Amino acid sequence: MNHRVTAAVVWCCVLLTLTAMAGCSKKAVPGQTAYPSAATPAGPGAGGRYTPGGPIDEATWQKLGLRTEEERQRFLKEMDEFQNDDIYFEFDAYVLMDEAKAILDRKVDFLRRYPKVSVTVEGHCDERGTNDYNLALGERRANAAWQYLVNSGIEPSRLNMISYGEERPIALGHDEASWAKNRRAHFVVQF
Amino acid sequence: MGKGTAETVRRACAGRGWRKLLILFWAAAGFMSASGAWGAERVYIDITQPGFVKLPIAVPDFKMQGDDAGPARQMAAVIRDDLDLSGYFKVLDPAGFLESPQQMGVLPSEIRFDSWKAVGAEFLVRGQYEARGGGLNAEFRLFDVVSQKMVVGKAYEARVADARAVAHRIANEIIAALTGEAGIFDTRLAFVQAEGDAKEIYVMDLDGQNLTAITRDRSTALSPAWSPDGTQLAYVSYVEGQPKIFIANVFSGARRAVAGYPGINITPAWHPAGGRLAVTLSKDGNPDIFLMDAQGSLLKALVSGWAIDVSPSWSPDGSKIAYVSNESGNPHIYVLDLAGGNKRRLTYEGKYNTSPAWSPKGDWIAFSSMNGGRHNIFIVRPDGSGLRALTHGEGDNESPTWSPDGRLVAFSSTREGASAIWAAVVNGEGIRRLTRLGGAQSQPSWSPRANR
Repeated sequence: MNHRVTAAVVWCCVLLTLTAMAGCSKKAVPGQTAYPSAATPAGPGAGGRYTPGGPIDEATWQKLGLRTEEERQRFLKEMDEFQNDDIYFEFDAYVLMDEAKAILDRKVDFLRRYPKVSVTVEGHCDERGTNDYNLALGERRANAAWQYLVNSGIEPSRLNMISYGEERPIALGHDEASWAKNRRAHFVVQF
Repeated sequence: MGKGTAETVRRACAGRGWRKLLILFWAAAGFMSASGAWGAERVYIDITQPGFVKLPIAVPDFKMQGDDAGPARQMAAVIRDDLDLSGYFKVLDPAGFLESPQQMGVLPSEIRFDSWKAVGAEFLVRGQYEARGGGLNAEFRLFDVVSQKMVVGKAYEARVADARAVAHRIANEIIAALTGEAGIFDTRLAFVQAEGDAKEIYVMDLDGQNLTAITRDRSTALSPAWSPDGTQLAYVSYVEGQPKIFIANVFSGARRAVAGYPGINITPAWHPAGGRLAVTLSKDGNPDIFLMDAQGSLLKALVSGWAIDVSPSWSPDGSKIAYVSNESGNPHIYVLDLAGGNKRRLTYEGKYNTSPAWSPKGDWIAFSSMNGGRHNIFIVRPDGSGLRALTHGEGDNESPTWSPDGRLVAFSSTREGASAIWAAVVNGEGIRRLTRLGGAQSQPSWSPRANR
């Protein structure tokens, strides 16, 4: 124990691999799968189905059972309203307010009138909460709207749900006016 | 003291290729006889004590041998930066040093301790290197200026291109010698990078180097979580429409979807032993927390009920999870004992407490709390005592994640405008910015210690 040796006593030799920093970290990360671009809407758009915003071909009009120009113009107008009328929520809440219920009643009318139309209900949140919690909250909002539509007699098989949490704001400001617009359920048609 | 130090460095294992970094240890006989054995027997900094005084340390530029002057300043600067980040040290400004870094010696017998005492240093890091033909031989010695002894010294053989990595290793050794536990300066951060409409997962070294994209989908990727062995990242992505959980190999980029049940598949958290994850799924119509294996097979439900239950975080022994539930009407942090099924509410202050992160030492749970429209980072003991704020209303501060030594907390903050990743020492001091990129960075996840 009483070393008076003047040379080094302990020699260790440790090899450490720096592969991670030099070998791998600069590499591009190739996806294994050819994923669709995010610009492609999540809802079904391929396979002969209607692409939102695109023209409706004759076969699709026939499928919808809309034969006259008057019927078709009315449908286009009502579809616009259907997709533009969001319902809104209080902060950290998913209870349907009276105004939301009134809007949902109009959506029920539309869906009854056009039984071939399906809907994706999107749940959204404002930016103030936590991303993770908002994904769950957004789903609750979509769920609240979904439940109201189902309770009103709409077939669950016509309704899809997705939560975007706070990831898809439509108003980009950082104030209550913008937040209020983002705490919403949004409705997208498919047929 | 300080005389008779070994000054030869034996290079025993040279030539193993550029990926290998060779480290050689040596020790001073004087230090040995004083402490009884080589190594950090004496703990200079007791990290279990709160409110210790920062140690003044001097890190002059390295002494150059050979023909490449670049690493002289770079290595010392990296070490200074690391030591500053650690929160243990007051890193002295080299402008005030009395000695010229290229003139002064490196051996214990050559150090003028009085001159370093005069500038207020209690510790001195003295390094030198030789750079030739792309190869780098570097060595450092850490001196206790007060007792005029060498604490630790090591030599490294690497490429000049890896000078920064060597400097991080040296900083780790300095921390190890003074605290008994290695530093974390070769760890990495994963985070979400928002660019335009897309959110991608990125990984970078703690000092911002080696920025790497893990996803390039132009979709929305969220919630990165390191596997305990540091080789994989679990994350959430909308790339296939609904939010699904993916696992990517950090090195190869290979990835696979592991949870794509109907509804949301979010907030992955690796079990500390690896192989399994706690996740939030709403496949049963309600966001509940499940245990699944890394192939995506569900093992059991951990938390279920009518409420929103999300964001699990494991205790380091894997016996408990902290998570968020709104069963009281607002989101709060709860702790579930997995063996007994015993559930306890942890937070009562405020109305919006989310993002729990259990410290790797087990002694704290960090979370973000929203009050008056602002998010701040708090820490609390797992028994609910000791609640303390780490941030105080400087922008929004969210998504805490712990360094593997449990000393630092990284989080996102909007204190300088767009969200960026910041870190603070657990005592709330030494807040500093870690990302300096365009776009906005959020949801950091601190890697485990390097497994390279």
